[in-house]
Amino acid sequence: MNDLCCDIGFKSINHTGEQLCGDHVDIAEQEDGSTVIVLADGLGSGVKASILSTLTSKIISTMLAAGLSLEECVETIAATLPVCSVRGVAYSTFTILRIIQNRTAEVIQYDNPHVILLRDDANWDYPRQEMSIGGKQIYRSVIRLQENDVFIAMSDGCPHAGIGVGYNFGWKREDIISYMEAMNLCGYSAKLLSTMLVDECDRLYGEKPGDDATSCVVRMRRRVPMNMLFGPPGNRDDTDRMMSLFFAKEGKHIICGGTTSSLAAKWLNKPLRPSLNYEGDIPPIAKLEGVDLVTEGVITVNRVVQYAQDFIGDNTCYDEWSNHKDGASLISQLLFEEATDINFYVGRAINPAHQNPDLPINFSIKMNLVQELSAALQKMGKRIKVSYF
Amino acid sequence: MKITVCIGSSCHIKGSRPVVEQLQALIAENDLGDRIELGGTFCMGKCQQGVCVTVDGALFSVSPESVKEFFEKQVKAKLA
Repeated sequence: MNDLCCDIGFKSINHTGEQLCGDHVDIAEQEDGSTVIVLADGLGSGVKASILSTLTSKIISTMLAAGLSLEECVETIAATLPVCSVRGVAYSTFTILRIIQNRTAEVIQYDNPHVILLRDDANWDYPRQEMSIGGKQIYRSVIRLQENDVFIAMSDGCPHAGIGVGYNFGWKREDIISYMEAMNLCGYSAKLLSTMLVDECDRLYGEKPGDDATSCVVRMRRRVPMNMLFGPPGNRDDTDRMMSLFFAKEGKHIICGGTTSSLAAKWLNKPLRPSLNYEGDIPPIAKLEGVDLVTEGVITVNRVVQYAQDFIGDNTCYDEWSNHKDGASLISQLLFEEATDINFYVGRAINPAHQNPDLPINFSIKMNLVQELSAALQKMGKRIKVSYF
Repeated sequence: MKITVCIGSSCHIKGSRPVVEQLQALIAENDLGDRIELGGTFCMGKCQQGVCVTVDGALFSVSPESVKEFFEKQVKAKLA
């Protein structure tokens, strides 16, 4: 393994008036550390298209991840998909991105707009091999990966955006490429890049999309480790052990919790300087030499969990946390955007002051917060390790 | 004179933010900015008595409602 990893993000918008999306993205991890990402676009829109694309992406990702050949996958799909009663065909287009041990990418494309690859911040026209499987014309490419390679897969709803509204022939591929080249220069995450592409499509459609539109972005980036300390150890004698393990780790260090940061300050023998600058309703942060970020505990982390769950869902709070400087926003920026590998050091100490029934915080909530946060971060594709003390 | 307000979780919920803001306003109103150093601290371990405020080391329990009274008695009176 090298020190690259893939940052994957996708977003869909539905055909106007439909509650379900006819496009589907499925991601499966293989045991050898490879990832299979499938973007499928079912024929038509609504329920029928949704079933077709969900089946297609799920079958392909599961079968490929289990090591079966592409031919078998395509045959299985052809034999499995229900036939559309209106059009008399079973049809779902697909794009497969297979990232093998973060070294090589295999791109397999069937009838979707071709994947855009940005390398060294510019469009790179990668070689494609044409092949025929079960009468279907399929393109296959094998690409050696580099840091900052950005793959942009789309359903045809993206290049069709704006037909008859803003443009005669939709959003041209060259124009999508130059738009994404410009956005990519800002160093945005995969989730944000896919969101921006699809939001622009929505705008071109006059916010009444004439087709389901989906984009899935895979960005090859260097691994960035990060460490977060939360809560004092259950047994105070373990403080030294907890602190030495925490501070020995490479990467940035975040400390959450008043008592916890006081213990860290004592261990580092540096003064802890809480600020009195409030931004929003999150308690202020503090400064401590040798630590990248010091915040209050449960209230702040509770907000981070809310942001994390929103981020993997509708991503409606992005503007709230991406630009602010309060503790919860700063943690979110570090964990969601910057980090790829996160080590949690969680203390099991029970704060006697929090066992007051009048307070909306208690020990079990604190332990749940860590579990919910690590589950959400895992869904963002991050590697999480939690150690309890 | 040094006034420290606890901004730990428990005191935060009990209202350390309005306490800090009122103190900042009162200090400015009375033109005492050069005589008082207002600071924050994390948990003092006296959460039951929150919001915890210390004046030169002496602990007081203050609420957003009682800040004004606290300021008159414990701060202004002592500086006069």
